[in-house]
Amino acid sequence: MSREAQLLAVRGKLAALEVGARGRGVLAFGDARIDAALPGGGLPLGRWHEAVGKGVEIETAAAAGAFVALVATPLAAHGAVVWVMRRDDLHAPGLASLNFPVEHLIQVCVRDEAQALAALEDALGTAGVAAAIGEAGDVDLIAGRRLQLACEKHGAAGFVIRRRPFGGAAKPSGAGSAAATRWIVAAAPSEPAPGEPGLGAARWRVRLERCRGGQLGEWMMEKSDGPYPLRVVAELGDRQLEAPPSFRRAG
Amino acid sequence: MVAPFALVANERGARRLTAVDEAAACLGLYIGQKATTASALAPDLITADADPVADAVALTALNDWCSRFSPAVAVDPPDGVIMDIAGVAHLWGGEAAMLDDLIARLAANGIPARAAVAPTLGAAWAVAHFGSGLCAKDRAIVSPRDVAAALAPLPVAALRLTAQVATQITRLGLTTIGRLAALPRDQLTRRFGPEVVLRLDQAMGRVREALTFRRPPSPWFARLAFGDPISAPDDMTRVTGDIALKLCARLEAEGRGGRRFEIGFHRLDGLVCTLTIGLALPGRDAARIARLFQPRLETVDPGFGVEVVTLTAHEVETLSFRQRRLDDAREIAPEEGLAPLVDRLTNRLGATAVWRAQAHPSHIPERASARRPPLSRFVGEKWDPERPRPVRLFRRPEPIDVVAPVPDDPPILFRWRGRTHRVRLAEGPERLAREWWRAPLDDADPARLRDYYRVEDETGLRVWLFRAGLYRAETPAKWWLHGLFG
Repeated sequence: MSREAQLLAVRGKLAALEVGARGRGVLAFGDARIDAALPGGGLPLGRWHEAVGKGVEIETAAAAGAFVALVATPLAAHGAVVWVMRRDDLHAPGLASLNFPVEHLIQVCVRDEAQALAALEDALGTAGVAAAIGEAGDVDLIAGRRLQLACEKHGAAGFVIRRRPFGGAAKPSGAGSAAATRWIVAAAPSEPAPGEPGLGAARWRVRLERCRGGQLGEWMMEKSDGPYPLRVVAELGDRQLEAPPSFRRAG
Repeated sequence: MVAPFALVANERGARRLTAVDEAAACLGLYIGQKATTASALAPDLITADADPVADAVALTALNDWCSRFSPAVAVDPPDGVIMDIAGVAHLWGGEAAMLDDLIARLAANGIPARAAVAPTLGAAWAVAHFGSGLCAKDRAIVSPRDVAAALAPLPVAALRLTAQVATQITRLGLTTIGRLAALPRDQLTRRFGPEVVLRLDQAMGRVREALTFRRPPSPWFARLAFGDPISAPDDMTRVTGDIALKLCARLEAEGRGGRRFEIGFHRLDGLVCTLTIGLALPGRDAARIARLFQPRLETVDPGFGVEVVTLTAHEVETLSFRQRRLDDAREIAPEEGLAPLVDRLTNRLGATAVWRAQAHPSHIPERASARRPPLSRFVGEKWDPERPRPVRLFRRPEPIDVVAPVPDDPPILFRWRGRTHRVRLAEGPERLAREWWRAPLDDADPARLRDYYRVEDETGLRVWLFRAGLYRAETPAKWWLHGLFG
């Protein structure tokens, strides 16, 4: 076997390992511009994903919450969605306004971070749960690995919204994380149709900051009433918009 | 000889005896006697103040202890306990053995007692309080055939009549129940009111009598007794599994499932520790039920040891299992997946910590969403899609400073959490008023109105804010931020 062929074989094996050899399928966004960046053409199922907000969003997690709810909407057709939170300010009528099927949503309110992660792990490992969304300030490597194992049991997709619901300084999201992807979500100004009064469809500026086996990128996305709950409005060109965070230096 | 002892209390303007012990009774002291008279008759009489509240508490504790014999136990104030032992006596090998065990255990705890088993509550009460010489001093068993014979020699007071009626009857020379029962019923009713005949019928079993049991009686009851008391944590776990198996086998045989299970650990010293778990769907999976008890077993203090364990199933329903589909492996019945998850979460976090939101017909944003049990059927209306609502709704709206053109325009600038936001797009107002039927009409002043606006600032932050009350030129309007659309 030639050297190139061997290299190719090893690369293929590595890619398979990275994506998770037990392929559970993917959740496509329905737009080649974003699906191409993701391994396998969509958000891998049987893995867990992180959504992070900036500024006041660290406490309120509204944009990240709405974005994750929309991403998880197609999964609700396959089973229940469990939402674990420490602060019960999630408003079901608001999710219904986003066309999220609230009848499949089970909300769980916990007292502290450890309970949140335990409940999330429990939900992810349960047959009949298609997706579980948890709000947690920090997921360390061990907790992340446990979530990953729970996800693999039945192929549920996990989502962790980084949030400090009662304020306090956010910990720097350390380089180490077991999440398959990490998304930086921020609300973006909407564009109402010409001549229409009021607000346009909700928009988010979404940056894929980490993705195993995929490419990073940044997109402008919009709530859509079409077959996919989110629509890519534009691909934002420069992928190195922000300087690397300063805390890296502290090591 | 032991000194006579009596309890005294203030009654009808004098210190009177309310309870006497055996020694005092032998000296001729009686309940209701003046304390001064009693001490004159028996100079060495020891008295103490009666404490009816503590008596009631002690009686309740005794009642709980009695649940080791039967799940259906009722308090009979001031000093009695009523037990429904239908269907449980065989666990002791018969009514006589059960009675012996009860009296012996009470005596071991220092409680002298008289007990009677009878087909009716009235007969049992009469024999326990007034019976004598039936077979033993402090216990009696009345068989269904002998009810009338057993009651006949007893005084009329044994019929649980009010003292006034009993005295009246006795004064007429009708000293025993037998003589009373021989009289024509219509004359009894005419003379003494309906009470006498009713009590007579209840005692004879001609009329049913309803009892309020301390715990709702459940026929789904299992019991394990141990020769040697147990206390090791491993044993507690094991017996929990064993007793769950025992009860669940019965539930399975009859096609039933319970929603609530209560386990009771009866300690040697008479205390009972109970734990309760709830299931989201009725179930009878012994292993699952035992697992739900498992994390809380360590809160049970076995003391000197546990000698009896009881398990009761409540809210028992017919349970039919859905057949699993052959073709579609993705279809998972809630009994297998979600229900155990919901049970684990509710039993760990509390019954109110897990819910499913459902539309509630109310315009008030805080009340528009009701919490329902997670696995209940989704019924009722949906939220109006024409009225967008925020994803995050603050429990308390946060006050904001606003620059808004008068009188009804949305704000052009608002300050929230120390940052100024310039409004780029706005929608509204949507006027929401308090529901008039929740308060008197006079109270429905316009200050309780809210005009909601959906507003987006230049960075894309979409918020839901409102002005409280109608616009008034003289007073500046108050503005609040109620939620975030995300």
